[in-house]
Order: sequence, then C-alpha cells, then structure tokens
Amino acid sequence: MPSTNHSNGLNGNGNSTLIETRKLCKSYFNDELETPVLFDIDLTINKNEFIAIMGPSGSGKSTLMHILGFLDHHTGGEYLFHGKHAQEMDEDTLAKVRATRVSFVFQAFNLLPRASVLQNVMLPLIYHPTIPASERLERTKKAIEAVDLTDHSDYLSNQLSGGQKQRVAIARALVTEPEVIFADEPTGNLDSTSGIQVMQALQELHSNGHTIILVTHEQATADHADRIIELFDGRITKDTNKFKTRKAKRENSLKK
Amino acid sequence: MLLRDLFSTASKAVTVNRMRSLLTMLGIIIGVGAVVLMTGVGKSIEGVILGQIDFMGPKTMAIFPGNDGPEGGSTTMRPDFDALTFDDAEAIDELTTVTSIAPVVFVPGDARYGREKADPRIIGSSPEYYLNQNIETSKGRFHDAKDEESSNYVAVIGSEIADDLFFGRSAVGKRIELADRKFTVIGVLKPVGMVFFQNIDDRIIIPLSTAVNMTGRSHADMFTLQSTNGFEIAFADVRALLRQRHGITVPEDGSTDNDDFLVRSAAQAEQILGTVSISLTVFITMIAGISLFVGGIGIMNIMLVSVTERTREIGLRKAVGAKRRDILLQILIESVFLTLLGGLIGIAIGIGIDFLLAKTIEKFLAEYQFAISIGAIFLALAMATITGIAFGIYPARKASKLHPIEALRYE
Ligand SMILES: Nc1ncnc2c1ncn2[C@@H]1O[C@H](COP(=O)(O)OP(=O)(O)OP(=O)(O)O)[C@@H](O)[C@H]1O
Ligand SMILES: [Mg+2]
Repeated sequence: MPSTNHSNGLNGNGNSTLIETRKLCKSYFNDELETPVLFDIDLTINKNEFIAIMGPSGSGKSTLMHILGFLDHHTGGEYLFHGKHAQEMDEDTLAKVRATRVSFVFQAFNLLPRASVLQNVMLPLIYHPTIPASERLERTKKAIEAVDLTDHSDYLSNQLSGGQKQRVAIARALVTEPEVIFADEPTGNLDSTSGIQVMQALQELHSNGHTIILVTHEQATADHADRIIELFDGRITKDTNKFKTRKAKRENSLKK
Repeated sequence: MLLRDLFSTASKAVTVNRMRSLLTMLGIIIGVGAVVLMTGVGKSIEGVILGQIDFMGPKTMAIFPGNDGPEGGSTTMRPDFDALTFDDAEAIDELTTVTSIAPVVFVPGDARYGREKADPRIIGSSPEYYLNQNIETSKGRFHDAKDEESSNYVAVIGSEIADDLFFGRSAVGKRIELADRKFTVIGVLKPVGMVFFQNIDDRIIIPLSTAVNMTGRSHADMFTLQSTNGFEIAFADVRALLRQRHGITVPEDGSTDNDDFLVRSAAQAEQILGTVSISLTVFITMIAGISLFVGGIGIMNIMLVSVTERTREIGLRKAVGAKRRDILLQILIESVFLTLLGGLIGIAIGIGIDFLLAKTIEKFLAEYQFAISIGAIFLALAMATITGIAFGIYPARKASKLHPIEALRYE
C-alpha cells in the first residue's frame, strides 16, 4: 500500500484537486427519447477525501459515480480529472485510466463466477499496463490480506457469503492501488456486521491515502465519511464537510 | 495484456463448457478427420500402384492391335485383330532403343490334372517374356530357346494354378492337360498377388511356337517389350517403325487416328495416376472447404452465444481496464482455440482410422502400407486456424464494442 502522508489538514483546503466538474449534465437516450438525470453538477474533490453521496432512490447517485469512474460518458458540461478533460480521452486512454487510476466496488459485487478469490482479485492486474506479471501474485495476496480473506483465497466466488464477496470486490478494487475507489452502496446487500467489516476495510484504505467516494442510504455508513453530498432529482442539494464545520464551530467558539 | 493471459483466459473459457465445446468442434473434427483419412488412404493406394509399376519395371512397354479411336473416344483392343505380325516383332527387335521383345499369343482352354480342373490364362510367349514381365520361379525353370525351337509341350504355371491342381504337392515334372493337350510342368511361379487390380497368379506360360501350332495363328495378340532408358524415345521409334511397315499415313495433326496398334507403358500408367490423384486432391479440398465452412458457422454461432452469455463478464473486464483490443483478442483466440483443438482431435481420429484401415487391408493386400500425408495435415491445421479467425472476428468485434456499464447492467 502506498504510504502517502495522511493529513486531515489537507482536506478541504483545495490545493490538490483530483476531480472537478462544471455544470456536468447527463441524459439517457432511449429511442430518441431523452431522460435527463443529472443537472448542472458542480463539484470539486481533492485527493484523499472520504465522501459519501446520499439521496433518495432514482436521484442519480449511481449515474454520477459511473461518470466520475469513467464507466459512462456525461452529456453536458465538463469533467476534469487531474485537470484533463474526460471527453477528450479516447477509448484506449479511458481503459488505461480505469486500469491504473480509478476502481469500482459495485453493489452487485460483479465477481467472475467459477473463478477463485485469488483469480478475481488478480483480474485487474492482467490489464494493468505497467505492473509486471512477476509482481501479480504478491500484490494479489497483499490485497486479499488487507480485507482479511487470506484463508479463503482458493474459494470459488459462489462459495462465499455476501460480506465476503464484497470484501473480495474491495480487494479487487485496491489491488492496482488506484487513486480513487468508487463504492456504489457497498453495504447495501449486507447485514450490519458484514457492513461494518466492509466499512472498516474502506476506512483503512482512506487512512492509507486513497480517495474514497461511496454511495449509501444509511446515515451510519455515511458517518464514516468526512464529507457528505446529498443529491435530489439530479441536483446537489447539500454538501457538508465535517472538518470545515468542526473548524467553523471551533473558530466560532474561539470568537466567542 | 500479455499473450499468456489471453491464452489462459481462452483455454479456461473453452474447458469450462467441455460438452458444448466438443459439439461446437464436431464440424471441424469431421472435416479435418475426413481430409486426413482420405489423403492417407489415397497415399496408401498410390503406394500400391507405384509398387506395381515398379514391379512391372518402368521400362516395360506393351503393344496391342487396335486404335485409341477419335479424340476422346473409347480405346479398342482387339485380340483377334491381325495387325501385329511376328515379322513386326523381329523388326522392332532390331531397334536400338528396344532391348528385348516377346510376342504373346493367348490360348483358350482350361487346365486339368487328373480330376482337378483350373481356369487359367494360357499365354504363349518367347523366353524374353519372363524378363520383360519381371517373372521369377519358386520351383523348376523357365522354358528356353531349345523348347521354343522344338515346340516342346512344356508349361510354367502360376502359383494359384499349382495350388488348384496339386494342393501344395510338387508340380514340377507332372503331366497336365492344357486345352486337351498333354504338357509337362517345368516350373512354378512365385506368387505375386494383384497387379493393377488383376490377379496374375492364374497364368500358365508355354512356348510361343507351341501356342502357334495349337492355334494356327499367324499374328500376335500383343507384344511386351523392354526399352532402354527413356520410354518416350522407344515409344516414338516403335510407332514410326510400325506406321512405316503398315503403310499408315499420319494425319496432319499428328494424331494416332489412323494407327492399327496401341502402345502402352507402365510409365504412362504413372502419368495417369498423377492425374487421378490431382482430381482426388481437388475433391478432398472441396470436402474440407465445405465442412470447415459449416463448422465455422457453428463456431460463430457458439461464440455469439458465449459473448452474449458473458456480457456482464466482458463489462467487468472493461470496467477494470481491459482495452477493446484485449477483449477482441480474447474472443478471437478462444475461437481459434476451438477450431485448432477441433483440428487436432480430427487429425488424431483421422490418423487412427487410417491406421486401423491399413491394418485391416494389409491382411488382404500385403502391399497396402499405412501412410499419412503430412502436407494435408498442415494444410488442415492452417485451414482450421483461418476458419477460427474468419468466424470469430464478428463475435469478437461485437464483444469488444460493448459499453462497460450497459454490459454490466445486462440481465
Ligand atoms: N440506462 C438508463 N436509461 C434510462 N434511464 C435510466 C438508465 N439508467 C438509469 N436511468 C434513470 O436515471 C435515474 C437515476 O438512476 P440512478 O441509477 O443513477 O439512481 P440512484 O440514485 O443510483 O438510485 P438507487 O438509490 O435506487 O440506486 C433514474 O430515474 C433511472 O430511471
Ligand atoms: Mg444506484
């Protein structure tokens, strides 16, 4: 794992911007029929933030995540990643970004059936342009250890519980050591104990320097995050940063 | 993505669904198997025929009375035709390109020994006949110039006749009846089996002068002769000589339309064999083409099904960073893997059946040797690979163009 110096002081200072959207819009088109889903999303996300996106069902949370994670295209406005325009990237560049810089944890796990935990976690490495084949096994084992599944390395994915499956998905997401991990309702399909395990795994990634963006319905899950963005009908209705508020509170109390 | 990863991914996909993969490959297996089998059998038969040509000797020629007929017409050989005289034979013998000549007169009739009866082909010919036909005895001797001079009633009998009349007992010195005349057996021939699909162990050879006396014929039914090196040169010499002696005018186009004789040689048979094997090759190639095409459609069908089935998997691979090219190659290699594996199984089965067939035929025809055509095997493998690529490209392109999120949403 990278040992980027973790310093909460960086958060919210806006001096290492990772993601920036300007009036980002998204519409789905089915048979010429336009379904607008996201409207004028303005968002700035810095390195090593831990963000929870909340909102009612159908408000566009997943859609936003897919766009930010380079799995889907936006249809209006701008999306800049490291200052580079996403719409200017060709197919191969997008594939490279997916392979090296971002990774996704899906609500539905999306593991390869009939493949072992080891094979599932190793999958992104075979598409990674720079990690040599000789390092694959070691990195895979490390990632599996990080989610505490070493004992289950040889289990087939359909022999695992839901919580275990989601931890495999997290191991798969972190095996390439990406800058950002997107997690779309990672605990949505899990009971509270498994949910806590998964959140602990994500928390640890965050403290190791990764940027985490997750979608959740549960306030308890969202409380792990430093910043909560609320969506309603495709618009951001609220954006609260714990540290900023704390800082503000502290400043307020100092003033008093 | 490394080539190694592509191969291991493809081989996993093929082996996961073994039964389906096998059924998919069936068309390719049958096509390739048939080609390997048929070319092998063709080669074995060719070997048998070439062996017989070898046995006859490449310098052996035969002249028959008759005519090829007009262009494309049927060949007529007429044993009763009186075109070939014994004087012709003597004249041909003078040619420097001909080393020996033996006129042949066929004598109708059966062979008897006591109560036993056989149905031979009785051949009256000069001692040169043995040389011209590469004949060897297993017992006794050939007839010689002395027998010829005094028209002795002596016979050299084929191994089958010896079996029929004497049942393995010694035949040499015994008196047999040929066409109602008494003959003394002086030799028994070595068995040779089939030559050009004709049994030649049933012949009996007697002196030419004796045969002429018996039949009263003044003409030969055929000449057998040996040429020096090039049979083409001897061919031309013999033809020119006979045309001159028979007063034949050659048509302007140089054809044999006016000739009253036919010249044949073992080497000619070899040329005919060449033409036959070319048409056999064309035929086999067509079969291979058709079955590989049908097999290829089967492969494409299954690859499309498999791509659809694995839409989510392909979406996932793209989501974790697979390029279009990675997916394209993965599906393509999978398809080539199927056709190539089918090809290899087909080759194994083809060789297996070819071998069993050879072992069976060998019992009846000792000259039939197990043979495989290496060229055909490589061609079949190449064709299988090309089929895999040609019919895999469409499903592969389809898969590579899948949109990651839409593919992941696919139910
Ligand atoms: N492929 C699509 N075609 C058309 N409309 C779509 C498509 N995918 C999503 N939508 C619509 O976009 C809207 C937002 O969907 P999205 O999945 O982003 O919601 P969400 O906030 O993630 O909801 P949930 O909490 O239920 O997961 C919904 O109204 C949905 O119907
Ligand atoms: Mg959603």
